[in-house]
Amino acid sequence: MTERADKTIELRVLRYNPEADEKPHHQSFTVPYTSDMSVLQGLQWIKDTVDGSLTYRWSCRMAICGSCGMMINAEPKLACHTLLRDLAPGPVTVEPLNHFPIERDLVVTVDDFVKKIESVTPWLIPKHPKPVSEGPYNQTPAQLAAYENFSACINCMLCYAACPQYGENPKFIGPAAMAILQRYDGDSRDGGSALRIDAVHGEDGVWGCTAVGACSDVCPKAVDPMHAVNQNKMNTALDYFLRFLKKRDAK
Amino acid sequence: MSERRPYVRPMPRDWWAHRPFRHYTIRELSGVTIAIYAAVLLSGLVALLRGPEAWDAWRGWLASPASLVLHGALLIAMLWHVRTWFQILPKTMPKLILGGTPVPQRTITLVGTSVAVICSSALVAFVLWRPF
Ligand code: SF4
Ligand code: FES
Repeated sequence: MTERADKTIELRVLRYNPEADEKPHHQSFTVPYTSDMSVLQGLQWIKDTVDGSLTYRWSCRMAICGSCGMMINAEPKLACHTLLRDLAPGPVTVEPLNHFPIERDLVVTVDDFVKKIESVTPWLIPKHPKPVSEGPYNQTPAQLAAYENFSACINCMLCYAACPQYGENPKFIGPAAMAILQRYDGDSRDGGSALRIDAVHGEDGVWGCTAVGACSDVCPKAVDPMHAVNQNKMNTALDYFLRFLKKRDAK
Repeated sequence: MSERRPYVRPMPRDWWAHRPFRHYTIRELSGVTIAIYAAVLLSGLVALLRGPEAWDAWRGWLASPASLVLHGALLIAMLWHVRTWFQILPKTMPKLILGGTPVPQRTITLVGTSVAVICSSALVAFVLWRPF
């Protein structure tokens, strides 16, 4: 037997229409729900039955594509991975991810995030390139464990919405980019750290981080970006001194 | 035709005073105790340089109720700082892999905190009982 949606919950959604609105404003919707419904399904009910213009991103509905990140009761969450029943009796505020410009309703501008990911050379650069005929690059379980959690990032940007330092300084490289950098830097087959170190250095690099730790708290995939950022503080300090020594040797 | 006009929300200046950042703010503020402790020690050193009278006055101040209250507060803040410092420790070091699996961060925190507690207790015991 299918459950009847006889309970309702109020969603207070932040709306913004760039063609008509000077600034965003909240709009309330009363949404009928069943115990298995997510916030994303609540939004879909609104779009299907009340207001077709409500705009938001989603794709997989199963916490893997990373599209549906939004602020739910002021916390960065995946809308498809947050159940309405856990938020009862409401009201529930639903807003676009913090720290990103709003394009329309719950959709934010992702350009800056994408550029940051690109800037860390996010692919494997073989340490010892060899032709396919020589077989695969083998890896032990310990070598896999060294980077495995960092490879679980789904680019949902929740960590950027949680990070007050990114909110203060949008140039800060931020959590996920460093997690992705560490995913490759920490891979025993990779030899590309030298190409990535520039993204790590300086005020807009890892030193913009003050170890608030909110990024790792909100990450839906236990990537632990805070660990990636902070272990790279040591790497950049080391690199700084090594460069300094090399310069002295050259004299 | 739709027009693009991205709206940038301002960042609240007092973000550090609100949930979920309060824990972080208290942690950072508790670090100030180290500077205050250092100032107290430094004033003792200055008193020592100035001669026996200044030194006695400084020791007298140390035993005053105001100083005892201050030191009680400093001790609490310091203990909190130690606790949070070791909570962050595993985040600042490379991953520790033993026998093919990563050592849990909680274990690293526990070991670090235990070592600090044992060393500090040993030092306190040594100062109190001066075996030699
Ligand atoms: S690190 Fe976690 S929170 Fe950040 S983008 Fe990746 S999956 Fe999302
Ligand atoms: S819709 Fe894909 S993560 Fe939520």
